[in-house]
Amino acid sequence: MDHMLPSPGFSIPSIGTPLAHTGEEEMILPSAQQQQQQQSAQQQQAQQQGQQQITTQQQTYSSGFTPHSLMQPHTPSMLSPAVGGGSQVGAAMFGSATGPSTPAGGPMTPMTPHSNDPGIVPQLQNIVSTVNLNCKLDLKKIALHARNAEYNPKRFAAVIMRIREPRTTALIFSSGKMVCTGAKSEDDSRLAARKYARIVQKLGFPAKFLEFKIQNMVGSCDVKFPIRLEGLVLTHSQFSSYEPELFPGLIYRMVKPRIVLLIFVSGKVVLTGAKVRSQIYEAFDNIYPILKSFKKQ
Amino acid sequence: MTYQLYRNTTLGNTLQESLDELIQFQQISPNLALRVLLQFDRAINTALANKVRTRINFKASKLNTYRFCDNVWTFLMSDVEFKEVQDFAQVDKLKIVACDGRGKAADAC
Repeated sequence: MDHMLPSPGFSIPSIGTPLAHTGEEEMILPSAQQQQQQQSAQQQQAQQQGQQQITTQQQTYSSGFTPHSLMQPHTPSMLSPAVGGGSQVGAAMFGSATGPSTPAGGPMTPMTPHSNDPGIVPQLQNIVSTVNLNCKLDLKKIALHARNAEYNPKRFAAVIMRIREPRTTALIFSSGKMVCTGAKSEDDSRLAARKYARIVQKLGFPAKFLEFKIQNMVGSCDVKFPIRLEGLVLTHSQFSSYEPELFPGLIYRMVKPRIVLLIFVSGKVVLTGAKVRSQIYEAFDNIYPILKSFKKQ
Repeated sequence: MTYQLYRNTTLGNTLQESLDELIQFQQISPNLALRVLLQFDRAINTALANKVRTRINFKASKLNTYRFCDNVWTFLMSDVEFKEVQDFAQVDKLKIVACDGRGKAADAC
C-alpha cells in the first residue's frame, strides 16, 4: 500500500509495513498530534469519521489524492482571517488525509511530524538592502571617476553603479544613502554594500557603513505539479486575488508570516516581502499543503 | 549645438596642427583659427549625419567598463571585431565615446 510510494523528504528509515513498526508510529504520533491540534483542533474532531474511512483507503499523499469527503467541511466560513488561517484549512484537509494525527490508530502510514515535508527549499533570488554612508556625496564626481557608473540627473537623481562580484547594482544618492539590489544571499548583499562603500571611500568621501538593513528578500521554487488557481481563489478568497486577464499568477497574501506569494498554474511559486530567510521558508511550508490540495489531476 | 567631439580625430587633429602652424607664422589670427574649428565642427557633424551611409558592426568579447555622465557614454571594451560585409578588423582594446545624436545637447569637450 503506502510503503510503495516513499513520502518526499521523509527521513525515518524504516517506513515499511504499518504493522511492523508500531513503536515508531507511537513516537511520531504524539508530536504530530500536538502540532495538528494546535492548528485545527475543531476540524479534526469533525472529520474523524471521515478519517476512519480514509485510513482504509489507499493513501498516497504524494499523488495528492484528496478524498472528496474531506472537501465538504471546507467552507469559507471556517477560514479565520487571523493567524495561520490558510494553513489551518490546509492542515485540516490534508492532516486527515495523511493521518498522522489520528488518535485512533489503525493501519496508517507513519508520516513526518510536519504534515507535508516537501523536501523542496525555496531558493533566494534577490535581496534588497539599504545602508547609510553618512556623508554628502558629489554624484557627478562619483560618476566621472568610478567605473561602471551611470548618472543621468534629468531622469533619476542617483548614480547607478554595478559590480561583478557579487553581481549587484547600487543606487547611490547625494544624501549618502545607498540601496543595494541583486544579491542572492544576505552575506552577499552585505559584502556588496561594503564594496560600494569602499569605492566611494576611495574617491575621497568619508564614507561610513551605518544601519545596514535588508529590506526585502525574494525566493522562488517549484512544487512540480500543476495547480488549480480557480479553486484556490474560491476557498482562500480572503487571502488570494486572481485576475487572469491582468496577470496569470494568483497573488496570495499570507498573514503569518507576512509574505506575498505569486502562485502560477505550472506549479512555480514566487515568495516576496520577507525581511529574514526563515519567513520565506515558513511561508512555503505553510502554502505547500494548500497547494497540494489544489493539485490538478 | 554641435559637438566638439570630432576635433580629436585624425582629420580634426591635423586641422588643428595646421592652424597652429599658421598662427605661429602669424598668417592668421587665433580668433580666425577658433572660427575655423567651429566651422569644422558644424561641417563634420552634418556630413556624418547626412552624407555617410555605410554600416559597420562590431562585437566585443568583454565590456570592461561603462560610464554615463553629462549625457556622454564612454565604453571600454577588449577583444573587439569589426565587420563590414567581408572586411574584418580585430583590435585588443577599444574605447568608445558617444554623444547623443538627437535633440539638443550642450557642447561636450
